[in-house]
Amino acid sequence: MMTMMRRNPLLFFSTFLMGIIFVGGIFGPFLLPDPLAIDLINAMKPPFSSHHLLGTDPLGRDILSRIASGARVSLVVSLLGMIGSLTLGTIMGLVSGSRNRWLAWASDRMIDVQMAFPYILLAIVIVSATTPSLPVLVLLMVLAGWASAGRVIRSIVLSERPKDYVKAAELVGADQKRVLTRYIGPTLIPAILTIAPLQASAMIVMEATLSFLGLGVQPPTPSWGGMLLEGKVYLSQAWWLTTIPGIAIAITCAALIGIGEGLSVKLRGDRRRRIDPSHVAVAPGEGDKS
Amino acid sequence: MRYFLSRVVQALVIISGITVSVFFMLRFTAGDPARIRGNIFSSNDVLESYRRQFGTDRTVLQQFITFLNGVIHGSLGDSFRYQQPVTGLVLPALRHTMLLGFTALVISLSLAILLGTLSARKPRGVVARVSGVIAIFGQSAPLFWVGLLLINIFALHLGWLPSGGFSSWKNLVLPSATLALSILPSEMRVLSASVKAELDEDYVRTAHAFGLARRKVYFVHVLRNACLPLLTVVGNDMGMLLGGAIVAEVVFNFPGIGSLALVGLNAHDYPLLQGVPIVAACTFVVVNLFVDLLYTVINPRVRLGGAS
Repeated sequence: MMTMMRRNPLLFFSTFLMGIIFVGGIFGPFLLPDPLAIDLINAMKPPFSSHHLLGTDPLGRDILSRIASGARVSLVVSLLGMIGSLTLGTIMGLVSGSRNRWLAWASDRMIDVQMAFPYILLAIVIVSATTPSLPVLVLLMVLAGWASAGRVIRSIVLSERPKDYVKAAELVGADQKRVLTRYIGPTLIPAILTIAPLQASAMIVMEATLSFLGLGVQPPTPSWGGMLLEGKVYLSQAWWLTTIPGIAIAITCAALIGIGEGLSVKLRGDRRRRIDPSHVAVAPGEGDKS
Repeated sequence: MRYFLSRVVQALVIISGITVSVFFMLRFTAGDPARIRGNIFSSNDVLESYRRQFGTDRTVLQQFITFLNGVIHGSLGDSFRYQQPVTGLVLPALRHTMLLGFTALVISLSLAILLGTLSARKPRGVVARVSGVIAIFGQSAPLFWVGLLLINIFALHLGWLPSGGFSSWKNLVLPSATLALSILPSEMRVLSASVKAELDEDYVRTAHAFGLARRKVYFVHVLRNACLPLLTVVGNDMGMLLGGAIVAEVVFNFPGIGSLALVGLNAHDYPLLQGVPIVAACTFVVVNLFVDLLYTVINPRVRLGGAS
């Protein structure tokens, strides 16, 4: 624990912060007052007033409990969106890195189409075609996120292709599917682990943006973006209505980005040590610790 | 030349892919625009006449053929709600959106070049630390929240700038600053990394040895080479820029394509709703094509690689 803190403080503190947010999101709603309880006498209380640490909204609902249950919604949706988009992105990236010319071309163009299409417009089109709900929201996030993951995976697959071990596998008669899943697949894992937190942070911003536009989580379910939407009307009277949920989003995203950066440093280091022995020779103390 | 042609073909494929998928997605799943157009007491005859007027009484395939025919003649149909050609509504809005995006791009690029170069020069200096903080903030704070904060500070408390609408250049300041902050981090990181990489090159040492001023070495010689990766990032971020512009429009009540798309959403106005993404995608693809071609003009090495 202490060595990890010293060797990669960024990863340590971001993980720690994210852990607090997770625990708050999971257990907070059980301990705090009901986020939907309307109490008009205590409406619009600023932060640090008695009984309400972060104040109340125009309906007198406690903001701290709304932030906590908003965290729950946000984290669940973003996690599902992240898993879905990474899965779809990895599959499409593998396909577009395969030797099958037509399939590769088609999935390449699909990635291009997806990247060319701003996800907000996509969300508007899809929401107008259905009604906003949590499954639709997750679907939107998967659709918005898979292409960037696919592009990263594709570039890795293409850079692994000319390497000797792939050639050897093809020489002994492994078919495309086997080469991609069994041989190239494992080399993607560090990259996927590095993208995952970044993807999750993008998903949190996306969820908030969609809810802010009224396309995501619907009231009365508390969500960070929805709280910002409700607070927007009271911008001049009650600064805390918009400031607090925004800070919650920013802290969560910063923690996730920190995990991503920390992981990339850690994994790059580990991989270098394993694959390229010359670096171990340069730093002999490093190699035997792990 | 072959490279150019293949890029144009790719662009056409992308645009038609988006057009077709948007059209069918909307037709197969959405509600009835006639019901939105009429009021809740409208009789079936009235609704039927609206359907005939909108053409939604025919099969989807027939509607698609009419739509394609229109596209060939440069029309995207008439908006149900405004009763005018969609192109006449979307193009002025697109001009506003592009103005917003372009201003944001200019602001963010100049900041990225300045801060990126300075922080590559002194990685532990004050500028580097400040830009690191700006980068983390720009990356983790959602764009619309930054917009609300800026409205709160500069429009409501200080009263320096208007909070929304579009009547003069003043209305452009806050939305484009918001948008610029959201694309600044990736630009800054790439530029700073490529400046650092260029600093190891021989020509930098030569320039220093010739006694050129440090400022000249950095901002003239190094920067010219370091800008190439920046161009790629700008091309890739175009979608983000456009999407961000749409969100910023909604926050600042700016009359661009994002506001228009939301109106279309609430009115179930398919022609408008499908016109916005189609026009947006065309713009995006054309801009990207332009960036790629610019890249080959600036860097002949890519041209050779692409042709083979």
